[in-house]
Parts: sequence; C-alpha cells; structure tokens
Amino acid sequence: MLALACLILTVIIYFSAKWYYQNNPKAYLSPLLTAPLLIIAFLTLTHISYQAYYSGAKWLSNTLQPATIAFAFPLYKYRSTLKQHAGEIIVGVLFGSIIAIISSDWIAKSFSLNPQLVSSLIPHSITTPIAMDIAKNIGGIPAIAAVFVIITGLAGALIGPLIIKLLKIETEVARGILFGTSAHGAGTAKAFEFSSVTGTISSLAMIITAIISACIIPTLIIWLGL
Amino acid sequence: MKKILQGTGQVALLYAISFLLDRLLSLLHLAIPNSMLGIAILLLLLHTKIIREEWFEIGANWLLTELLLFFIPSAVGIIDYQNVFIAMGIQVIGTIFLSTTLVMIFAGLSAQLIAKFKVRNHSC
Repeated sequence: MLALACLILTVIIYFSAKWYYQNNPKAYLSPLLTAPLLIIAFLTLTHISYQAYYSGAKWLSNTLQPATIAFAFPLYKYRSTLKQHAGEIIVGVLFGSIIAIISSDWIAKSFSLNPQLVSSLIPHSITTPIAMDIAKNIGGIPAIAAVFVIITGLAGALIGPLIIKLLKIETEVARGILFGTSAHGAGTAKAFEFSSVTGTISSLAMIITAIISACIIPTLIIWLGL
Repeated sequence: MKKILQGTGQVALLYAISFLLDRLLSLLHLAIPNSMLGIAILLLLLHTKIIREEWFEIGANWLLTELLLFFIPSAVGIIDYQNVFIAMGIQVIGTIFLSTTLVMIFAGLSAQLIAKFKVRNHSC
C-alpha cells in the first residue's frame, strides 16, 4: 500500500514539477532537481526509509530499460539524417567518451577521492542502466554511480546552453552530439528544447556513447592504468 | 480513450520485450547491456519491415517524452549516501562539472569542425 502511494506520489510530484518548469524555464528549476528534492523533503518529514520508498518507485526505474529500447523508433525514423551525419557523430562521440573517462578519473584522483568513488565517477556520462553495469564491473558502487549520472544530467542541462553560446556551436548536429555524449537522457531532453533534429541526434549520440564506453572503459583502464 | 489503450498496450509490449531480453541474456551469460541489444533487434525488425513504426508509436513517444520521470527514484537514492556528499560533495560535484564541461567542449567542437569541413568540400 505504502509502495503504491510512493509510486503515485512520485508521478504527481514529477508532473507538477514539470508543469512549473514549463511556465518558468530556468535550468535550476529542472524537474530532475526539484522533484527529487521535494520527495527527499517528504521522506525526511514522514520518516519513510528509502528502501520503503523504492519498493514502489522501482517500477519507474525499471521503465528506464523499455524506455531506452524505445529509442530505436526515433533512430529509425530519422535514419537518413543520421546516415548523412555519421562522420560527425562517430568522431564527436569517440572524442567525447574518451575525454569523459580520462578527465573524470584524473580530476577525481587529483581531488584525492577514494578508488571506489573514482570508479563510480568514471561512467558518469553514460545513460543510467548501462552506467550502473559498468560501475559494478570496474569496482564502483552502482547506486552511487546512478546518482553521479543524474548530477551529470543536471550539470549538462545547466552548462550546455552556455557552452553552445560561448563556443558558437551553431549546427544542430554538433549541438545534439554535445548534449548526448556528455549528458545522456537528461541532456537529450534539453536538446529536444532546441529542436527535434538536435534531440534526435542527441539520443543517437547517447546510445553510441553507451556502446563505445562499454567497450573502451575496460581497455582504457588497463592501458592507462586508471 | 482509444489512444490511451493503444499507448498502454504498446508500453506493455516494450516491457515484455525488455523482460524477455533480460531472461535470454542471463540464460546465455552474455554481458551485453539489455537495452543495446533491444535497440539493435528493434532496428533490424523495423528495417526488414517485420514490425511497423505505427505499432509502437504512441507508447514509445510517451516513454521518451517522460524520460526524466524514470531517473527520479534513483536520484532520491542520494539520501542513503548523505555521508559521501557531506564529506566529499564539493570534490564529487567539482569533478562532474569539470569533466562534463570538457566533454561538451571536445564533442561539440570536433563535431562542428567535421560538419564545417563537409560543407566546404561540398561547395568545391
């Protein structure tokens, strides 16, 4: 009963936060930030544990898998756009993914974070279900990695528009690659605010980032001794 | 009303596909991420016209439009790791922001460079 209530509460808070964001479109009002904060406040006030909350809310997390599979449809629909821009996508994603892995490892170590946290930070640019898998394989903590992935999504939605402006990234393709490679699904949601082509390119970049990273992370860790 | 029923059915179908893939992958002991295989299989089925876009359109759109909703329960999970964030929060958030900025710069600029190069070659 409590589980179902937590599930419904999450959905209601999310749609309210989304509605509020649409009327006040400021990056710091993103539902990805406001909804979890409201839920955390609620759980703290009512002394409901995260385990109890998650027993119902996990149905939403589980939906991430079919939702990721659903990306096959925009990919198919925009296949000609994608074929046309295959070069940019492959180069941008490959470059971006390598930078994501090396820079997070290097910066985290220079902040003297412990090895478990470093390993949980390495897959931060990758979409949650896959990032959690990778974190587990390289000695990180999947649940913490999931939180890092979400903070990355927020960071991306916040910084992305600034970088686009500063570096004069004018093509829809480059904008999409920038969002999808760095900030997965949350970045893709932001990219769709620019245009549907930007969003679609971003979702493709997100998927390719996940594939490439899953393949190169273990190799890079051995080669570079990360 | 018809649209709601159709959409719900389509979401259920995507759930079923994802569930079956999970079973298959654990049965075969394969370490491929489920969603990657799912995308590949659906693309193949769409390409060979075995399935049609319209069969999933409403449900797939729902899932993709509300993608952020599915991240929220994991984000709430931060409350179980308060000590990590109290002790190391600034360093962790600093790492994420710096690394994300670098990724955006490199991915965005390299993609833009190639896009411009392609345009120039076309005009020659």
